[in-house]
Amino acid sequence: MNTTALIYLLTAAAVFGIGVHGLLQARQVLRQLLAINLMGGAIFLLLITLGGGAVGPPDPVPQAMVLTGIVIAVSATAFALALLLRLQDATGTSELDPNDGA
Amino acid sequence: MVHEALIGLVFLPLLGACLAVLPGRFGTRLAIVVGLASLPFLLLPVTLSVLREGAWFYTLGGWSAPLGIRLYVDPLALLMLWMVALIGGLAAAHAWHDFRPGTAAGERFWPLWLLLTAAMNGLFLSADLFNLYVCLELVTLAAIPLIAMAGSATAVRAAMRYLLLALLASLAYLLGVALLYNSSGTLDLYLLPDALATAPAPVTAFALALIGTGLLLKGAVFPLHVWLPQAHASAPGPVSAVLSALVVKTAIYLLYRVGLWSLPAGLLADGAMLLFAVLGAGALIYGGVLALLQDRLKLVIAYSTVAQLGYLLLALPLASLAAWQALTYQMLSHGLAKAAMFLAAANILHAIGSDRLSDLERLDQRTPLSLFALAVAGVSIMGLPPSGGFLAKWLLLEAAWRGGQWGLLSVLILGSLLAAAYVFRVLAAALRREDPSEAEDAEGISAIGRRQATYAMLLALLALVTGFAAAPILELMATGIPPTWGAA
Amino acid sequence: MIEIAIDLIIAMGVVGLALQTILGASVFRAILMFIVFGLLMAMAWARLHAPDLALAEAAIGAGITGALLLVTWRRLQAMDGRTPRVGIAARAPWLSIASGIFAAALIVALGWVSLSLPAEPAAAGELAWQRLPEVGVSNPVTGVLLAFRAYDTLMEMGVLLAAWLGARAVASELRPGALPGPAHAEVPLVGALLSLVVPISLLVAVYLLQAGGSAPGGAFQGGAVLAAGGVLLCLSGRLEAAERSSITERIGLVLGLAVFSCIGLVMLFMGEPMLAMPGVWAIYLVETALLLSIALTLVLLFAAAPGLRRAP
Repeated sequence: MNTTALIYLLTAAAVFGIGVHGLLQARQVLRQLLAINLMGGAIFLLLITLGGGAVGPPDPVPQAMVLTGIVIAVSATAFALALLLRLQDATGTSELDPNDGA
Repeated sequence: MVHEALIGLVFLPLLGACLAVLPGRFGTRLAIVVGLASLPFLLLPVTLSVLREGAWFYTLGGWSAPLGIRLYVDPLALLMLWMVALIGGLAAAHAWHDFRPGTAAGERFWPLWLLLTAAMNGLFLSADLFNLYVCLELVTLAAIPLIAMAGSATAVRAAMRYLLLALLASLAYLLGVALLYNSSGTLDLYLLPDALATAPAPVTAFALALIGTGLLLKGAVFPLHVWLPQAHASAPGPVSAVLSALVVKTAIYLLYRVGLWSLPAGLLADGAMLLFAVLGAGALIYGGVLALLQDRLKLVIAYSTVAQLGYLLLALPLASLAAWQALTYQMLSHGLAKAAMFLAAANILHAIGSDRLSDLERLDQRTPLSLFALAVAGVSIMGLPPSGGFLAKWLLLEAAWRGGQWGLLSVLILGSLLAAAYVFRVLAAALRREDPSEAEDAEGISAIGRRQATYAMLLALLALVTGFAAAPILELMATGIPPTWGAA
Repeated sequence: MIEIAIDLIIAMGVVGLALQTILGASVFRAILMFIVFGLLMAMAWARLHAPDLALAEAAIGAGITGALLLVTWRRLQAMDGRTPRVGIAARAPWLSIASGIFAAALIVALGWVSLSLPAEPAAAGELAWQRLPEVGVSNPVTGVLLAFRAYDTLMEMGVLLAAWLGARAVASELRPGALPGPAHAEVPLVGALLSLVVPISLLVAVYLLQAGGSAPGGAFQGGAVLAAGGVLLCLSGRLEAAERSSITERIGLVLGLAVFSCIGLVMLFMGEPMLAMPGVWAIYLVETALLLSIALTLVLLFAAAPGLRRAP
């Protein structure tokens, strides 16, 4: 494994962890969505780095998967934001009360 | 012809969704016929071919795996597809009256419903781990707006919580898939067993843990069920029915596929199977107790789903033919009974304006047919004869008995007792006579109400009939036993 | 050596911006940090020999997602004044600590696991290179997206359509999708700028589409760039929300999915496998339809409106 791959693999792991932490401790839905997007970005980085051109030409399959993943991520985010506006409209807050779900 | 039929199962609902987006009543009606009513007719030739020749693959675009994507149809997939066609179809018939094509509500409802149908069919057929991720996301993004369409603050909040957790679950799944791809070089579920045999074990274990966690979260398996009760209870009736009967099962189905089909024999340690059993037992008891404590009908039914999903994991350590038949039959009978209950609950809510148990008195006079449907479906949920639920639970008991699993046996009995308790509690509330003076004022029920009650009744009857006409289904399922269990 | 230094700088920037995103004092700041994170990720893609992704990340990941986040934040701000905020007690500190420990453990596990992966290339990737000539395009990513794994791309269009349908289904009746805040339409410079930028976005989109066969680019990147032009027209007040979507818009929304499926089905009934591409022209036809659908869907999602019309 070359140094570039090593650097980006560790970056991906770090960003994924940061995203998980952000998701668990954020209160506002908007921040939780940012954290989810960070986690997605980290997974994409991992996929590309592992399939990267360390030996031979880069693997196009993960690249296509990530391209699909990016479009799915923006779709999910866009819908989540629309739902968030509705949440604010219906409940007067853009946060989820952790105690009302169980 | 059979290939075209298989493709149609995914593409006709998909094209139906496109058609339903176009303006006008006519397009939507055509879309419902093309995308939903056609499904049983497409399934018939596919079923016959599997009966005659066994399971088969279809290679999309002619690009063979591992490069391309394959579809795979076997008895388990057939069972799920039939459930989508029948339960989804009857729920759609119920929804027709609340979301009429041509109205503003109908215009929003039907394209999403058709996309959800296409996504579930696609998911049950796909043999590719990444394609399954796309299908999972499509299921999620089509289902959640349907919950929020109920419009109440509770529904919107439940939809939001469901969405965040579902996205988290998808990411866990995707990370696992990314690792598996790089350690095995393929995304095809059925090429994985060979490819994984030489892969480094820690990577496989970590990837499987991520995939498993993601799917357990999407499948609302105890203790990751927190999002389910409110989401299922606050959605519009037909949506609740499909969510409980089909949508959560997509994740469980995928769990079976990954755990029982795509791993080299012996890779999944007994410990993992035991963990599933413990989670299942927890779900059965926790869900049962919580269902007993709810004071709203739809919440009782939703917690009952949490409990009943437990059965689908409980039997995994048994790894026997009887256990496999029990699991698949539970999948089917719970789907039918639960959809019937949610539709009946929607009718009751519609007729009396509340689903609080304290408001349900004299339902035998006010909504007799829906109450009857609720009771018949309840028989299947409790596992009393003669119903599909009884058969599923009896097979499970028998498998546990043969395997000498006394702990499992006692959990099964406790679960059935709890189910009996919460079903009877609902029925007792519905048959109460609070005030004798207002006893005889049976309210007129509209023609639409009667028709909607009929759909609930049909599903409940199907749940009952599966108790009698089980032999062909069980035989078919026996031919589709997972390869890792086949030797057992 | 210099390359490793660049990698290190990008990596540290990415991690730092991710931290800033979750720790940002205000939501607005967090969003800005996320957008910069996306831009830096685009540089990482370029370093990792993934120029298609660099374009997609800059246009979609940072650009469109960022615009959606910012406009939603502004809409929430505008609604705040009308509805009272319900305060919720802060998360318990033990939860933060526990989640921090969990995240750290996850980082270590993920880092360790990904370093222990074998370095040999994946079988699927090797096959993609070998069989690329059969497709007729020379950009392998386009080959995977439109031929080998076309089914994924098709389902993904379903996801995009579901997002728009979902957003429409949950939009409250009370709130028209108007864009809050000042319109800059009256500033003369804006008009001049728009008359330059919007045609350029169209030009770039068309270029990316046709380049996608042999060079980095394709329907997704092109669609996002075209959408950016539409977003600018919305922001400047040239386009405004309409109460209903026109039939053209509805056809545009499903065009990608419908054309893609229909070509697949036609091939199926001609005795070919489902989703086999009859030729390179079909790939470009499908990509054009995808581009139009993607651009329209993204602009409508940004406008949070059923449809758009020219402002009077």
